[in-house]
Amino acid sequence: MYLYLPVALTSINIFIPIGLGLAVGLLSGLFGVGGGFLMTPLLIMFGIPSTVAAATDSNQIVAASTSGTYAHWKVGNVDFKMGLYLLIGGFIGGLFGVQAIKVLRATGNADFVIKMTYVLMLGIVGTYMFIESLASMKKKKTEEVKTEKESIMGRFLKSLPLQTHFEKSGATHSLLIPIVFGGFVGILAAIMGVGGGFLMVPVMVYILRMPMHVVVGTSLFQILFNCIEVTFLQAYTNHNVDFILAVLLLLGSTVGAQVGAVFGRKLKGEQLKIILAVIVLLVTVKIIFELTLSPSIFLAQAGGH
Amino acid sequence: MAGQRIIGKKRSESTAFAVILFLSFLLIGVIALFFILINDAAAELTANVNHNHIKIDFFYHGSSVSVGGISEPDTDLIIKITSPEGHEVLKQKGKVAGLLWMNTGTLKFENVPNLYSVHSTKKIDELLYQEEMDKYAIGYPALEKHVEISPVSKEEEKNRWFNEFVKLKESSKLYMSSSGKITTTLKDGKQYYYILTDWPYQAPPGDYIVTVYAVKNRKITEKTDAKVQVEQVGIVKTLSNMAKKKGALYGVISIVAALIAGFGVGLIFRKGGGAH
Repeated sequence: MYLYLPVALTSINIFIPIGLGLAVGLLSGLFGVGGGFLMTPLLIMFGIPSTVAAATDSNQIVAASTSGTYAHWKVGNVDFKMGLYLLIGGFIGGLFGVQAIKVLRATGNADFVIKMTYVLMLGIVGTYMFIESLASMKKKKTEEVKTEKESIMGRFLKSLPLQTHFEKSGATHSLLIPIVFGGFVGILAAIMGVGGGFLMVPVMVYILRMPMHVVVGTSLFQILFNCIEVTFLQAYTNHNVDFILAVLLLLGSTVGAQVGAVFGRKLKGEQLKIILAVIVLLVTVKIIFELTLSPSIFLAQAGGH
Repeated sequence: MAGQRIIGKKRSESTAFAVILFLSFLLIGVIALFFILINDAAAELTANVNHNHIKIDFFYHGSSVSVGGISEPDTDLIIKITSPEGHEVLKQKGKVAGLLWMNTGTLKFENVPNLYSVHSTKKIDELLYQEEMDKYAIGYPALEKHVEISPVSKEEEKNRWFNEFVKLKESSKLYMSSSGKITTTLKDGKQYYYILTDWPYQAPPGDYIVTVYAVKNRKITEKTDAKVQVEQVGIVKTLSNMAKKKGALYGVISIVAALIAGFGVGLIFRKGGGAH
């Protein structure tokens, strides 16, 4: 069954967006990522103009992350306080990031820099998470506690002012840490034109030392607010949000997020981390292939990556 | 007497003059009639589009348009369907650092129709002289001469990017060409032609022009045109207008709907999943 999309100006078989929504929503509920790095290219592949694909995806993530946050909140896995500081940082970082893009565009080689940053970030984050979670899965058996590594970095972080306790995360940090790292992710996300969930999750796990299940819920919570902002700006300034496409996507993604959250509870933190690492690495490989294989058409619509 | 004779001579002269005048008028009349008749025969070319008002509703998935009419016997026909010409800016892919494919710049295309489809009874280059094709922008090579691409430095570079452009348009069914799909039948000394073409759902709302050319001896002898109007209706029109004109409200509605859907599904799952 086909429906016509009034903003994308194209017709689509409704099972495609519902199916895509279900799959990407599942990833959201499981790992606390928005899934834009998968959804946007898939929508473009099915004939949606790139600008509409990105804008509509952010609208759809609002629904998926509401559904996911709700599911994680019910079992006490959302640290609202941490989420709030990350959001503040992310917001400030986003403002800097938008300026950074302008500077990059002025130098002329923006696309190259952006693509390279994206591939390197995905590759580094994926590899690190993979190795680390594999190591900690092995260590679990010998029950070794890794206190030595924390000492230098930990002492520095503990010496910062404005120390506060994050109850849900079970950690004490300076308020500056989530703000600064949230800001860092915000800058990169704005430059790369992605939501940044795949960067935020490792930051929370490895720098903020939050338990994986709380990371997923809290990440979804802050993605929700980011995507509300992005959806509004896209609708208001670029007129690129396709409501019908968003509804079809969210039919799948809201359900997928719930299923993902249920599955996530059955998996251990290390297992979640290692699966996410594999997905991030697969996406990296896919992008590297795209970059090296010669395209079938050498022209593309303006506006996408 | 002499005066009368003169008058008589004058009279006979004037009669002769009148006769000549009459004959020449007659001749002009006959010639004119001949031309009118010829023109009449030439003006036989007609074009009718059966489905000339395409409505894009919620369930629209493209349409089909048939073009038919009458032409002089033994003429070949070319049917061209285009949108008004406009300009397009596209991203150009190229190799960076000798290894990686990425967007290396933008190309501007001027005087290009968004939709361009040409159907003919035989292959166009067998039907027409090159000058004729160029004059009426029939066929990709003629369209290429008509289109301006910038920045390109050499003719071969223009050719390369124009071919890429056609590939991109053909991939979304907006550019099309066929030969031999037009059927013709002779009846009562007239030739009836007919073609049924697919109308792509990728073609945006707007006015499109169908031009029918009659061809004889590798030249275009006549042309006539008809219009196809594509319009959004109902929910599609309402949403599309709102997205364009009331961006803020549209954004808020989209966000609220997403929030409600997210919560709604969450609540359903709490009830459904309570048993676990």
